[in-house]
Formats: sequence, structure tokens, C-alpha cells
Amino acid sequence: MDWIDRFAYSNRLRFVHPGQKVALALLVIALCLASDKPLVGLLAAAWMVALAVIMARLPLRVFGGAVFTEGVFLLWAVMGIAVSIHAGGGRWPLTFSITAESLAAAQRPFARALGGAATMAFLAFTTPLVDLLDLGRRVGVPLVLLDLATLIYRFVFVLLESLQRMVSAQETRLGYSNMRRAMHSAALVATRLLVDAYQRSQRLQTALDSRGYAGDLRVLPTQYQHSWPLWWVTAAVCLSLGMVWWLI
Amino acid sequence: MSKKAIGSRVFMLVTALLLLGGRAAWASVNSAPQAMHIMEGFLPPLWAAIWFAVALPFWAIGFRQIGRLVREKPESRLLLGLVGAFAFVLSALKIPSVTGSSSHPTGVGLGAIIFGPFMMSVVGAIVLLFQALLLAHGGLTTLGANTVSMAIVGPLVAYGIWRGLRGRLSEGWVVFLAAALADLTTYVVTSVQLALAYPDPASGFMGAFAKFAAIFAVTQIPLAISEGILTVLIFRALRNTAPVEMRALGLEGA
Repeated sequence: MDWIDRFAYSNRLRFVHPGQKVALALLVIALCLASDKPLVGLLAAAWMVALAVIMARLPLRVFGGAVFTEGVFLLWAVMGIAVSIHAGGGRWPLTFSITAESLAAAQRPFARALGGAATMAFLAFTTPLVDLLDLGRRVGVPLVLLDLATLIYRFVFVLLESLQRMVSAQETRLGYSNMRRAMHSAALVATRLLVDAYQRSQRLQTALDSRGYAGDLRVLPTQYQHSWPLWWVTAAVCLSLGMVWWLI
Repeated sequence: MSKKAIGSRVFMLVTALLLLGGRAAWASVNSAPQAMHIMEGFLPPLWAAIWFAVALPFWAIGFRQIGRLVREKPESRLLLGLVGAFAFVLSALKIPSVTGSSSHPTGVGLGAIIFGPFMMSVVGAIVLLFQALLLAHGGLTTLGANTVSMAIVGPLVAYGIWRGLRGRLSEGWVVFLAAALADLTTYVVTSVQLALAYPDPASGFMGAFAKFAAIFAVTQIPLAISEGILTVLIFRALRNTAPVEMRALGLEGA
């Protein structure tokens, strides 16, 4: 579960200003949503894979695999659009049909969502959440929300580790050997996790109080750099998507 | 190309894709517990905006409530964060079902019982945003729609059943119904959202709803039952092993 986060901290675009990466992502997503040509979405997905592999130096297998998985998932979801259903009109009470029109209708959301999902994956794989929260602070998101998000981010990994330890302890004791036991073990883990979370929150409260916690958590901001190549690439991506949209 | 030829080609294409994607699909279903997340870009802009508008009042009320709570009881800020993280992490827990993973209701539903549904809509939205950015499930433009189905309607149902039925049925049943029905309504709401955005050309909204509901029924109905049983077991275990914490969280005697 933490592998995307690990790449986010170690890729080549890690210290590029998060605003730049968010701007790229939002522009591409907006273009994918606005255009009605399936090719735009597919091109956006291709761009994102290329950028992730060439600029961020992510392994193709990892990033491409993530996009492929989403594509398969998406195929399952657009099935509901590609297959048309209507009552009566033949021997059967319900008729299912796949027509050229329904396939064309399914193409658009498929391409759009593939482009969008690949762009989200690009953002997720290149930008750690702390950078995004820092960006939120700069653009004036309320501090209450940012503190809440910071806490959730921190505790997700603390609790995840605790969960993994408990589950592997149960597995070594055959805790998941059959369905009944698995259900029982899962409930036990969830229970302990809730108690663990509660007790941790109490301990952290004590620790923060002893350091004079007055309501907000302050951290040092990271120094970012502006990447001119990424600005140029952003322009190129938007331009090419726009061209495909107008010309084809 | 004649219609028949198109049909047979499409059939071949679909079969090939299914054979090719079958393994990957199974693997992805197993590694992607949030099958009900609407992906980035899947909704047309208009519907994405509409669902943001639906979520907005809940967020506004929840935000004000959080502000007040944090001013009055600063220590609850940490607890809110922990409950959010708990909801996120629970989705990594494997439970016996078709897809083998838990989903939201247990975590978010518990949060709704502790903090009320409005605050949980804000925490739930943060959790959904994190899922989009840490797991690549869901997205930014679909955040509104996903919040409505998973962080508003589901918790509201859980909260309503918990409040309305407690004392009238045995606690086991109340907890089971709250969790299972919250899961089911989440699934129904998502199907409605998809059907509204993509109505069937021949049979309209109802046909589209039937299609999307059927696609997700395979994983979601067994999941709802599993989720219900799991939550009952969690409540029982909490009562037996952590009565002090349970009282402190307001899960008992509230």
C-alpha cells in the first residue's frame, strides 16, 4: 500500500515545485474532460507514461503496470455502457446488444478516464503528499483541514505498520486458514487497531501538550526548484492535446 | 462492413480482451479494494460539478462543526485524525468475500457514530483524496461524487440505523444492519450516479441502473454481508476487550 508513496519520495521530479506538477495534472485533466475526442485521452495517457519514465525515472514496469491495471478496471466499468439493454421486442423479455453506436458511446468515457487516471497516477507517483499539503498552505486552504490531513497522513502509515504486524502474527498462527477463522481474525485485528489508534491519539496528545501545543502543527517547508524543462513539456503536452482535439 | 461482421469482430475483440485481462483483472480486483470508487475522468464535467454541489452543504456544516469542536476540545483533533487514518487503513484489511477486501462503512460508519455524519463527510473526503493520491483510486473531479456515495450517504444510513433502531432490536442486529445497509446504499448510489451520467439509449436511466448495479453486484453484495458480520464481531470484541475505550469513544451508552 505504501509503494506509491515510496516512489513519490525517490523520483527525479521530487524537488520540483509541487505547484508545477499540480498545474500540469490539472491542465491535462481539464483537457481530457473538455474534449469529446477519444484520442485526446489516449494521448494524455501515453504522455503521462512517457513523462513518468523519462523525466521522473520511474520504472516502466511499475508505472505502466499501474496504468494498465486501471485500464482493465475501466474496461469492466464501461461494459455497462457498451452493452445496451432493452425490454421486449423479441422472443426474450430482455435483450442485450452491443452495437457500433454503443461501442462508440463507451469509447469516450474510457479514453477520458484512462487519460485522467494516468494523470492522477503521474501526480501520485511524483509528488509526496506532504508537498501537496505544503502547497495547500501556500494557496490558503484552512489550517484546520491541513492539520487534520497531516495527522491522517502520518497515522495512515503508523497504523498500517501496526496492522501488518498483527496480521502476520495471526497468519503464522493459522489465523486465516478458513473462512470462519479469517472473519474472526479480521474482526480482532480491526478491534485492536481501533484501540491502538485511540491510545496513540491520547499519547500524542500528552506529548504535544508537554511541548506547548497551542492548536497548529508547524513544520519547516521544503525548498523547491522550478524546472524549466517541465514547463516546456507542460506546454508541449497541452499543445499536442489541443491540436488533436481541433484537428482530428 | 455489415452489421453481422461488426458484431463478430466485436465479439472476438471482447473475448480476446477478457482472456488477456482476466488474470490482470482478478489481480487488480484483489489489490484494489475500492471497487466502488468512480475513477478520475469517468464522469462528464456536468455531473462531476453536480455531485460537488450536492456534497458542498455537508462539507460546509462539517467544517464549521470541526472548527467548533477543535476550539472547545483541542484533543479531539488528534482523535479525528486517527479515526480518518483508521478508516483508510481498514480498507487494507482482508476479509473473506468475493474480492477479499473490506471497504468503507466499518471505518467511516464508526466515525459517523463517534463524531456525527457531518464531520465525517469532511474526514471522509480527506480520506478519499488520500486514496486518490496514495493508491490512485478515485480522482479529483470525481471527489464530489465519491464523497456523496461513500462519505455522506453510507455514513448517514449507518448513523440513522444506529440511532433509530438501537434499543428496539438486539445490538448484534442493529450493528449488522447498519454496516451492511450502509455498504449496500453506497453501492446503489454509485450505480445511480453512473446511470444518470450514462443512461441507456434504449431503456434510459432504469436500464442503465440495472446494468451498473448488475456489474457491481458480483462483488458488492457478498461484501456487504461480510462487512456486516465483521462489524458485529468488532463490536463484540470491543465490548469484551476494550470497554474503557469504547465508553471514552461514546460507542456505548451514548
